[in-house]
Amino acid sequence: MPEEAARARTTYAEVTDEDAVAGIIATYRDEPGNLLPVMLDINRHFNWLPRPALEHISDELKVPLTEILRVASFYNAFSLTPRGKNIINVCLGTGCFVKGSPRLLERLERKLGIRHGETTEDMAFTLEVVRCIGCCALAPAIRVGEATYGRVNPDQVSKIIDSYIETASL
Amino acid sequence: MKIANLEQLKEIKARGLRLTYPDKIKIMVGMATCGISAGADKVYAALSQRIAELGLDVVLTKTGCIGFCQREPLVDVIYPKQVRLTYQAMTSESATALVDALKEGRIYESQTLCRIDQEDFLVEGVVRPYANPHPPELPPEFPRYEDLPFFSKQVKISLRNCGFINPESIEEYIARGGYQALCKAVAEMTPEAVIAEVKASGLRGRGGAGFPTGLKWEFCRNAPGELKYVICNADEGDPGAFMDRGILEGDPHAVVEGMAIGAYAMGAREGYVYCRAEYPLAIDHLKTAISQAEGLGLLGEKIFGSDFSFTLKIREGAGAFVCGEETALIASIEGRVGEPRPRPPFPAQSGLWGKPTTINNVKTWSHIAPIVARGADWYASFGSGNSKGTTVFSLVGKVNNSGLVEVPLGITLREMIYDLGGGIIGDRAIKAVQTGGPSGGCIPEEFLDTPVDYDSLAALGSIMGSGGMIVMDEKDCMVDIAKYFLDFTRDESCGKCTPCREGTLRLMEMLEAITEGRGQEGDIDKLIKMSGLIKKTSLCGLGATAPNPVLTTIKYFRDEYEAHIRDHKCPAKVCKPLITFRVLEDKCNGCQLCRLRCPVEAVLGTKKEPHQIIQEKCIKCGACYDGCKFDAVVVD
Ligand SMILES: Cc1cc2nc3c(=O)[nH]c(=O)nc-3n(C[C@H](O)[C@H](O)[C@H](O)COP(=O)(O)O)c2cc1C
Ligand code: SF4
Ligand code: SF4
Ligand code: SF4
Ligand code: FES
Ligand code: FES
Repeated sequence: MPEEAARARTTYAEVTDEDAVAGIIATYRDEPGNLLPVMLDINRHFNWLPRPALEHISDELKVPLTEILRVASFYNAFSLTPRGKNIINVCLGTGCFVKGSPRLLERLERKLGIRHGETTEDMAFTLEVVRCIGCCALAPAIRVGEATYGRVNPDQVSKIIDSYIETASL
Repeated sequence: MKIANLEQLKEIKARGLRLTYPDKIKIMVGMATCGISAGADKVYAALSQRIAELGLDVVLTKTGCIGFCQREPLVDVIYPKQVRLTYQAMTSESATALVDALKEGRIYESQTLCRIDQEDFLVEGVVRPYANPHPPELPPEFPRYEDLPFFSKQVKISLRNCGFINPESIEEYIARGGYQALCKAVAEMTPEAVIAEVKASGLRGRGGAGFPTGLKWEFCRNAPGELKYVICNADEGDPGAFMDRGILEGDPHAVVEGMAIGAYAMGAREGYVYCRAEYPLAIDHLKTAISQAEGLGLLGEKIFGSDFSFTLKIREGAGAFVCGEETALIASIEGRVGEPRPRPPFPAQSGLWGKPTTINNVKTWSHIAPIVARGADWYASFGSGNSKGTTVFSLVGKVNNSGLVEVPLGITLREMIYDLGGGIIGDRAIKAVQTGGPSGGCIPEEFLDTPVDYDSLAALGSIMGSGGMIVMDEKDCMVDIAKYFLDFTRDESCGKCTPCREGTLRLMEMLEAITEGRGQEGDIDKLIKMSGLIKKTSLCGLGATAPNPVLTTIKYFRDEYEAHIRDHKCPAKVCKPLITFRVLEDKCNGCQLCRLRCPVEAVLGTKKEPHQIIQEKCIKCGACYDGCKFDAVVVD
């Protein structure tokens, strides 16, 4: 692809970002099929996939950028836009669905003033839906960052979110 | 140290037994994902703190899911030489009280779920009693584990160690007979003999399609090529199922050992576990298990001093349901977009990087060690007809006891729901049970006496699937459920073939119209016709089974569809555009709760006066209905 070769790399927002990405790529350098593990780790590191990182991967792993973008949009785990500090996942798996999780989602959307898939303006929260986090026996479940909450009722949602707002402002 | 033979394995076993059953009191906290989300981490912290405060000499450890997730947080105490007691619904306070009782030399008697007098060492076929010589005097109301309906009908083969060992300790796995089957296979059996045993056991794949496992292995063994792969499918895409998570979190070595045996049988040197990224704890425990097995030489070069070598790696999924399909999964491991491809060639001929590959589900792998250790006849003595052995279900939804259960195939749906599940929450009427996830169907009450096996569920238009079992009651709308699944499959369709991509979208739109009161005469026939077309012409199983939820709900709940279409009514009162909330004047005492709870100020009223809902403002969130303590809010 000629335009690939001619492309100049977009610069990273922070100098340290480049090292972080280089480190991740180095970890998997000799693994066959390393594109996904590299992208997952980068996605985790930044909470999304910044453009310079994608170009960096493309150059290092010799995978065309178009292919990387295709992979990035195919898998639900990846985000091509920046996400908030706290990622809220509302489970809409069947177990949670029949136990009323759509209501939790409605509450959260109203509380945060965003729809699912969106991020609050202050970049504090991104609201997403997930199809099962394996906590079905304690449905309905939500996950905020790494913490899972089971048997959540709509009235508790506010409290859970508030506990993150408080920690955020400390 | 590297274990080179059975004697050395037994040395580790002796060490493991001392760890698993120490001379002092041992407290075990169920710390699987469910447990943690119910507060097990707080209970663990409270126990640990109180133990330190009192300077108590006890062992505190973590364990996996024993299955009774409903009663989490669960804590077990082994009173040495006496009994093991399981405590339910523990809190930080009760954890402190528990430690205080132990300090005083008492048996803690509150919150007991059951007593366990003995443990089955399944792989070795022996029973290990706790009591020596007699169990202690305990109040008669402490039921025995095996007398609780939730446990009594279960046979735990896949789940043999879950809730009994610390999943992060290979010694504890070995203590209960772990890696003996691998030793036996490698040292005493030819690869062909292992395959023959698996074939004779009648084991069929537990990932959905139910293909005979031994046969699949034989294809792979016989495929030409030096390099072969084994893969564990831990993508667990079925939304509402967590069997594979439970096993990987609670007993990761069961999968590692099964895969090593399979690799030996098929002549593979490398393996992958493809696990969904939504299961961080499972991945973590699996990583630990792999490095421990490597440390003891149970993975790596020259296993048990033989020529057999095997390495195992983990790959994380990136959130695409279709990647559970085997050819898509392979593409994903190779670092590509996870799109299925036509079969043949089957992975057994040309799989990962074009090499012969066998993919089995987590549960399938976890059955292998016991089959090799105890023999095919033993395994086939469970189950019925064409469906041998046991399988794990995640029993969730509107049942009283939700959790993870392992049952012999052939048990009836009714037994599952009413004996194990303890019936429906609030004694409401059951409407349907959903098996097989988005590929399965909704089975109505009249068929509850159907045995749970591959053929019987298929005959009803559903499938066994991988083990999701979701119970629905009269408050669930079957059209809404069909729409829910189609929304899922439409979302997850990889888009490669038109019937699946466009067809699921069309089905979804039609169902949406029906649930919004825009349905028309003839819609049901259109749904059926479109479903048939999608089933026939889709490339992979996702499209080919996506219409099943629609077809089964039409077949068994046609009247609900008709009510939506003809009368613009949702009998279960779920579909928002078809329902209204209103206050019954004579029942309302003006407590104001609903007015305060309403998020959009749609309730008007003053204290002690009947309230009123302004329909134009109401967004039908149901908060008023849920909140009213006087049944004054009704839906119609
Ligand atoms: C769309 C789709 C999703 C699937 N998801 C899974 C899954 O999450 N886990 C699984 O074990 N098998 C899944 N399967 C079945 C696999 O393709 C494959 O048959 C299975 O892993 C084989 O293992 P088994 O023989 O042990 O059942 C899926 C199939 C399809 C068509
Ligand atoms: S049936 Fe659907 S999911 Fe399967 S290959 Fe075709 S479009 Fe993709
Ligand atoms: S909560 Fe019930 S009783 Fe109280 S004001 Fe509302 S409708 Fe009336
Ligand atoms: S259903 Fe919700 S929006 Fe409507 S009146 Fe009740 S609380 Fe308010
Ligand atoms: S359905 Fe929500 S955790 Fe499984
Ligand atoms: S997760 Fe603890 S019993 Fe199921």
